[in-house]
Amino acid sequence: MMDVARIDLWAASGSGPLHRASVLAKVIFLLLVVTAAVVTHNPYPLAAGYVVLLLLVASSRLPWFKVVALSLYSAVFALLYGLSLRGGGQAYALLILKAITPALAMLTLIVSTPYPQIFGLLSTVLPELLSAGLFMTYRTLFILLDMMDNFAMSIRLRGGFSPGSLYKNGSNISKGIAMLLVKAVERASRLYAVMAVRGYHGSMAQAGAGSFRRDDWLPLGTGIMILALVLLWR
Amino acid sequence: MTHIHIPDGILPVWLWLSGLFLMALALSISLASLRSMDGKKKIPLLGAVSAVMLVSMSLEILPIAYHINLSVVAGILLGPALGFVAAFITNLILALMGHGGITVVGLNTLLLGSEAVLGHTLFSLMGQRLPVFWRAAVVTVLTLLTTTLLLIGMVSMSHIDVEAMLHGHEEKVPAGSVPAPTVTTFAVVVLSLGTIGWLIEAAITGAVVKFLAQVKPELLRHGLHDLPKSPGSTRSSS
Repeated sequence: MMDVARIDLWAASGSGPLHRASVLAKVIFLLLVVTAAVVTHNPYPLAAGYVVLLLLVASSRLPWFKVVALSLYSAVFALLYGLSLRGGGQAYALLILKAITPALAMLTLIVSTPYPQIFGLLSTVLPELLSAGLFMTYRTLFILLDMMDNFAMSIRLRGGFSPGSLYKNGSNISKGIAMLLVKAVERASRLYAVMAVRGYHGSMAQAGAGSFRRDDWLPLGTGIMILALVLLWR
Repeated sequence: MTHIHIPDGILPVWLWLSGLFLMALALSISLASLRSMDGKKKIPLLGAVSAVMLVSMSLEILPIAYHINLSVVAGILLGPALGFVAAFITNLILALMGHGGITVVGLNTLLLGSEAVLGHTLFSLMGQRLPVFWRAAVVTVLTLLTTTLLLIGMVSMSHIDVEAMLHGHEEKVPAGSVPAPTVTTFAVVVLSLGTIGWLIEAAITGAVVKFLAQVKPELLRHGLHDLPKSPGSTRSSS
């Protein structure tokens, strides 16, 4: 979650072919990859799909190494869950690939698309309160992450963390979270008031599904290729 | 413990589709019940609480792979309807970050949302019998116990079969053979590690709610919360 600021920077500052593709095409690409992960029972085509995604990210001038590292985060939970299944190596491989392949596709979408475009697309299908809540949560998250860093530093400087003292550490962390909540509400209220004064009334400026663009062949072609791999390689 | 980090394509289609359908239904009911109040005034609070939930989920307690949710705090602060909306927003953003499958957003929202709804309901039902710290803590343990049982029920309903997962069909089990106790193993792991997690979450929730009652009592607007008369009040300083 702490990587949200980096993800936002990559999405807003990139200029590769994926950045130029429409958000609609990238969402369709994501759905195709998720469908491939859902229907497959074979880890090999999914592994090939992961490599294809890796090539897509690398060729789109995105920080592929960091994006891949982020996608592997989901493998930890998949492995924990897999332990309860008592399957063999192939079952674990399938489970992990089912976790990391859609995760990489999702990361490909969010590192190449600025969040107002994603929320703009979502606001066409979501009610106004939900899309406004999503937008406000995302904005507040950035404010909170900054505050969290400051809080962690100040609590260390003041000797708030004592190794072995569970009660003291727990109490300080709880107070920190509560203080964070109070400040987040104040900041969010102020931000909302400023937006309201500037004419915000709950709807996104970039609302709409948009239209297809010339560069959409890349995400659409990749998505179709991964789904075809899974369907043909049984 | 009530957050499914199961990848896409593991749970049966009927289960996650039902989850998405029930989530849409619960969201519609929540949004309909919010029509009577000015929902837009609640958007900053909704955003702040959802963002704090997301940040708290990033604080992982490593030895037991548990992270706090603050869903009960969300229910207490936002009420059941808006608490459910906060659960949906949190899960959608988590899925957008690649944490957990996209298809399980419905089931995750139902679990996290039920914590918010149950947390709010129990907290309200308890009246002022206990100091605010203990009330929030007890409610958290009861809520997490209930929703963890729901989670185990969900996993047992899914009948996850390794053979079916690998080959797309279930292998015939010979008569008299004992099936692998997968759900039992899952339940034992979740309940044993979860108990430690519930206690940690209960302590944090209790401390957060107590702090809010002392510092920002207007956030706890519901009439049943015992707002302290003074910061040093014995009733809320347990």
